[in-house]
Amino acid sequence: MPDTDKFVCIGCPVGCPLELEHEGDRIIEVAGNDCRRGEKYAKQEFTDPRRGLSTTVAIAGAVWRRLPVKTTGQVPKHRVLEAARAIHQIRCRAPVEVGQVLLEGLLGERGLDVIATRSMEKVEDLGASPGAA
Amino acid sequence: MYDVAIIGGGVVGCAIARELSRYQLDVVLVEKCAEVGFGTTKTNSGIIHAGHHSPPDTLKGRLAVRGNQLFDALRQELSFGFRRIGELVVAQRPEDLPVLDGLKEQGRKKGVPGLEIWDRERLHREEPNLSMELLAALHAPTAGVINPYEFAFALIEHAVDNGVKLVVDAPVEKLDVAPDGITVHTPKGSFPARFVVNCAGVFADEIAGMAGLEEFHIHPRKGEEYMLDKRLQGLVRRLIFPVPSPKTKGTLIIPTFDGTIMVGPTAEDTQDRFDLSTTDAGAGKVFDFVRRICPAISPRDTIAEFAGLRAVSDTNDFIIGPTKVKGFINVAGIQSPGLTASPAIAEYVRDILKDEGLALDEKADFRRHVPCAPRFSAADLDQRERLVAENPLFARVVCRCELVTEAEVQDAIDRGARTLDGIKFRSRAGMGRCQGGFCASRCMTLLAERGGVPFHAITKRGGGSWIVAEMINEQHPRQGESEDESC
Amino acid sequence: MLGRAEGRYDVVVVGGGPAGMGAALGARDSGAERVLILDREPEIGGILLQCIHSGFGLHYFREELTGPEYAERFLAKAIDQDIDLLTDSYVSGVTVDSSGRKAVRVMNEQRGILTLETRSVVLAMGCRERTRGAIRIPGTRPSGVLTAGFAQKLVNMMGYLPGKRIAILGSGDIGLIMARRLILEGCEVVGVFEIMPHSNGLTRNVVQCLDDFGVPLHLSTTVVNIDGRDRVERITVAPVGEDMAPIMERAWDVDCDTLLISIGLIPENELSRKLGIQLDEVNTGGPWVSSTMETSMPGMFACGNVVHVHDVADFVTREALLAGQFAGEWAQGIRRPIDNINLVPGDNLRYCVPHSLSPGREHTVYMRCREPMAKCKLRVGDLREKKLRYVFPAEMISLKIRPDLLDRFHGDTLRVDLVPRG
Repeated sequence: MPDTDKFVCIGCPVGCPLELEHEGDRIIEVAGNDCRRGEKYAKQEFTDPRRGLSTTVAIAGAVWRRLPVKTTGQVPKHRVLEAARAIHQIRCRAPVEVGQVLLEGLLGERGLDVIATRSMEKVEDLGASPGAA
Repeated sequence: MYDVAIIGGGVVGCAIARELSRYQLDVVLVEKCAEVGFGTTKTNSGIIHAGHHSPPDTLKGRLAVRGNQLFDALRQELSFGFRRIGELVVAQRPEDLPVLDGLKEQGRKKGVPGLEIWDRERLHREEPNLSMELLAALHAPTAGVINPYEFAFALIEHAVDNGVKLVVDAPVEKLDVAPDGITVHTPKGSFPARFVVNCAGVFADEIAGMAGLEEFHIHPRKGEEYMLDKRLQGLVRRLIFPVPSPKTKGTLIIPTFDGTIMVGPTAEDTQDRFDLSTTDAGAGKVFDFVRRICPAISPRDTIAEFAGLRAVSDTNDFIIGPTKVKGFINVAGIQSPGLTASPAIAEYVRDILKDEGLALDEKADFRRHVPCAPRFSAADLDQRERLVAENPLFARVVCRCELVTEAEVQDAIDRGARTLDGIKFRSRAGMGRCQGGFCASRCMTLLAERGGVPFHAITKRGGGSWIVAEMINEQHPRQGESEDESC
Repeated sequence: MLGRAEGRYDVVVVGGGPAGMGAALGARDSGAERVLILDREPEIGGILLQCIHSGFGLHYFREELTGPEYAERFLAKAIDQDIDLLTDSYVSGVTVDSSGRKAVRVMNEQRGILTLETRSVVLAMGCRERTRGAIRIPGTRPSGVLTAGFAQKLVNMMGYLPGKRIAILGSGDIGLIMARRLILEGCEVVGVFEIMPHSNGLTRNVVQCLDDFGVPLHLSTTVVNIDGRDRVERITVAPVGEDMAPIMERAWDVDCDTLLISIGLIPENELSRKLGIQLDEVNTGGPWVSSTMETSMPGMFACGNVVHVHDVADFVTREALLAGQFAGEWAQGIRRPIDNINLVPGDNLRYCVPHSLSPGREHTVYMRCREPMAKCKLRVGDLREKKLRYVFPAEMISLKIRPDLLDRFHGDTLRVDLVPRG
């Protein structure tokens, strides 16, 4: 007997309610999508759900104490918290360039890297920095 | 051995401390909160009453008139904000009119100057935003407004400058009564003193109990207040009172010293000495009432709300005097008009101490003036440029809503602020419409850099009011951990 | 961190967020030589610097960027275009002389109080958050009650958590994004409470921020009490009826140590009020603007969240480039004809920006609906209709009006309605 899994598409702001009919692991059909992206999303979500991840890491010698970072690809959904914990081990020192690779192979996945999402200059006198503590 | 230990750093305790600092005495003031004035004082309406509301045959009535008279000289010496804006008791119904006459007569007997009944036309001319349905009003020109916390800070800074020892975060745990004096035990130390002055507000009966005295009870009465957006500034020019009831002066419209309009307070008896909650019912009462007097006021204009507890005694009057415990002086039951009366209470207590055997020799080197905390927002362009020329940090704005500069925040820290509210109540940073959303992080950074409080340890007002928690791997590095790796 | 500001300017932009940066670039593009951006923070970038999540640049750059990346692209352009930048600087006022020249009064630590002369000004001060006081939640005043934006700054820039066990009031995007952010940092998010019967944020955010992590979303529920002596200890929540009044008999307590308030943004128009420019208090909360983004004061322009609260930074950029272009033209003496068509929001529309239009030019009109509506259409007078699949208040609607469309219109007031297609 085929089963139906329900998802809400996150591909665009509309958020179509999707229904994916499957027999075990075999996808039969996707319904409810107004466009192609929805079909693609439902299939991905069924077989290998992934999410983008952005967070911050500790940085020394910069105007703020945290450097925002993101993953270059998507992380398996069920490993997001594990990925976040791994990223939070990273400690940096200014200067850093936007796009600079801070960690390669997150969760052991080749090509899944962690990069800085802004540049941060070295600030000589930390006493004057707004985020110093 | 101290000469005097004052228990409680509300406006009364601070006023007494300042008065005693004129004499060659060793005085200590112990305060349970992180700052003086953090009990009832900071929730006070800030009104300096003309004095006609309280009957002449009460202690509070007599001391209020005297207190009012002392405020101009005090302002010169201590440089806190004070303005006599005048007060109107408004009559809404015909039966209110004879009450106005009675108040006027009571005031006259007590020597309250300038009392005058205004008719409907005059009232509308002078206060065009009040309801057209009001019939008349009693005008008292000598009523004024202050920021009660600013006043308490000015008093205590002056006292400390003249040698009084201030100990905060020091709730009194025990009193040991001995023939030669009383020892006040707090977590911050024990202070033996010949005289103890009990200014503990809502807890004054508990403190008296620690000395073995059971002469009175405090029945806290909660009052909720609502601060309105600054865009309503100027809606009314004077304090607006309804005709009073036996229990309370009523719900008022208060143009505070800094221009923000405040409405309230309610009056609700409570058993809970820690109940500082505001309620829907309270808001309802306040706004329903004030809108009848000033229809332009809307609850949607609220930017903040708070509640305070009045220390009402069973006699409904001040209880000030020596007790059967030698050296223990009560200054209790100080409800309205306590703020107004506070300088007169200080004189009164000084005289009691003298009668009880405390020698009062004036200090030759008594410093009468305290350099006041500058207020950039109140200064004109020339004054501002002078301030900036002295200290460029006057040109660095921290609080945009109230235009408070970094120099003023630093000054607050230098004067003793170690909590976010300590900064707020000294400098006004965080009191505006965004309620600290933009400036709190900068104030905290300055507190960490200049006040020596580690960022994560900063509290809103002491005790358990922590503000942030540390991130999981941001906890302070253990000894021997290697330096940060470069990436 | 302060930067450079000397001499006379053609265009001074107040605020260095996406609106300010866009306006400055638009001004340079129009040919204005001397352009300056002023910002009160230590860095240019505005709120983007703390929006470390993705979702920016999809329209403008055709890439998915995080807020800081988006900001840095524009900062690079601004530097490249020789736009002067002055940070840690607060604009306390602007005066205008009889010839229309403006004097911007700025304060900063390095230079004290200084006056910068300019021909035109663009207001781009952004917005602030509604606070607890605005909705008067009863209870005590413990620490641990803060707006979501403030919490975002604490977490993303200062490196501290607002608490450990967190409740969120308001399901707008900021609240949803902070729910996820805090979970990623190891906090517990006990629930998101939303007074409306639908989420105020994008569905994709409900999925990615709440559903993914099992955070319950309680619709038609609001916070009716905050309890805690020094720090938040618990909140009381209650479902609301159709009249939005809480049903107290069904209230329940939630243990937590933090309450994030995410109940809306208000354009920050303190400076605009001081200047005396006309504000659309009822609909947008921001200045009245013409189709050149000029306010009621000649040579004073405005764009971004200070005019109306946006939800997509790319649209802020688009609006800002336009404002900058016209501010730059104005500075060079180029005057556009005054608009002669008032634009009025009709059925199910809370506002339309700009507030007026001119024939002969292309316009992009931004609107927000009052109530969600599926399968509806925008009716622009009787000139044009545009079908829309689904509209809801949290998502701004934009509509391009081609130059020839208004040529057919002869009235002085054009009304736009949002109606069911049926």
